[in-house]
Amino acid sequence: MPTATNDVGVRRSRADRVYRSRWFLPAFALVLGGGMLAAMWVGGSLREGLYSFALMAGLAFLFLLGGRSETIRGLRGDGRDERFAMIDTRATAFAGSVVIGTLIVAWLVEVARGHSGQPYAWLGAIAGLAYLVGIGILRWRS
Amino acid sequence: MQNDVRALRTAKSFSQEDLARALGVSRQTINSIEKERYTPSLPLALALARFFETTVEEVFHANGNE
Repeated sequence: MPTATNDVGVRRSRADRVYRSRWFLPAFALVLGGGMLAAMWVGGSLREGLYSFALMAGLAFLFLLGGRSETIRGLRGDGRDERFAMIDTRATAFAGSVVIGTLIVAWLVEVARGHSGQPYAWLGAIAGLAYLVGIGILRWRS
Repeated sequence: MQNDVRALRTAKSFSQEDLARALGVSRQTINSIEKERYTPSLPLALALARFFETTVEEVFHANGNE
C-alpha cells in the first residue's frame, strides 16, 4: 500500500484533541449525571437524582463500549472525521433552530394569554444575541 | 461531485477500510465520497490525490465538466 499521510493536513488544537478523546463524552455524561444528582438532592428529590445518575451512567457506559457503531464513535469523538463534524454542525444547527422556533411560539402563546412572556423572551433574546455574536466572531476569524 | 475514487481504489485492490485507515477518516466517509453523497474538504481531496499518486483534477470532476 502506498504511504499516504494519516493526517489530511488539518492542525488540531489541544481542545480538539480532548474533545476527540474516546473518554470525553462518557466523562461528560458522568459529570452531568453527578450534577443532576447533586441538584435533585439539594432540591429534596434524592430518589429522582439517583435514577437520573443511573441513567446518565448507563449512557456513559454505552458510549464507552459502543465502539463499532460509527454514530457512537462519532458522537463520542474518537471516530469523528470531517464528514461527521459536518453532520454534527448541521444537526446542532437543526436542534438550535427547533429550540429557537419553540421559544418564539411559546413566547407568543404566553403573551397571547396575557402573561409577560418570561422566561421565553429572555431565552429568545439570548439565542438571538448568541447568533449575532457567533456571526461576528466567525466573520472576523475567517 | 463526480469522482473516480472507487475506480482508483479497486484498481489498486484496496478496500474502503484500507483507504479510510490510510487517510484517517471513517470507512463510511470513503463510501459517501464514492457514492457522491459527500464532497470532501480540500485537504482530504489533496490527500486522496496524493494517495493515488495523481492530481485532484484527475480524481474529482465538476458536474457536467468532465
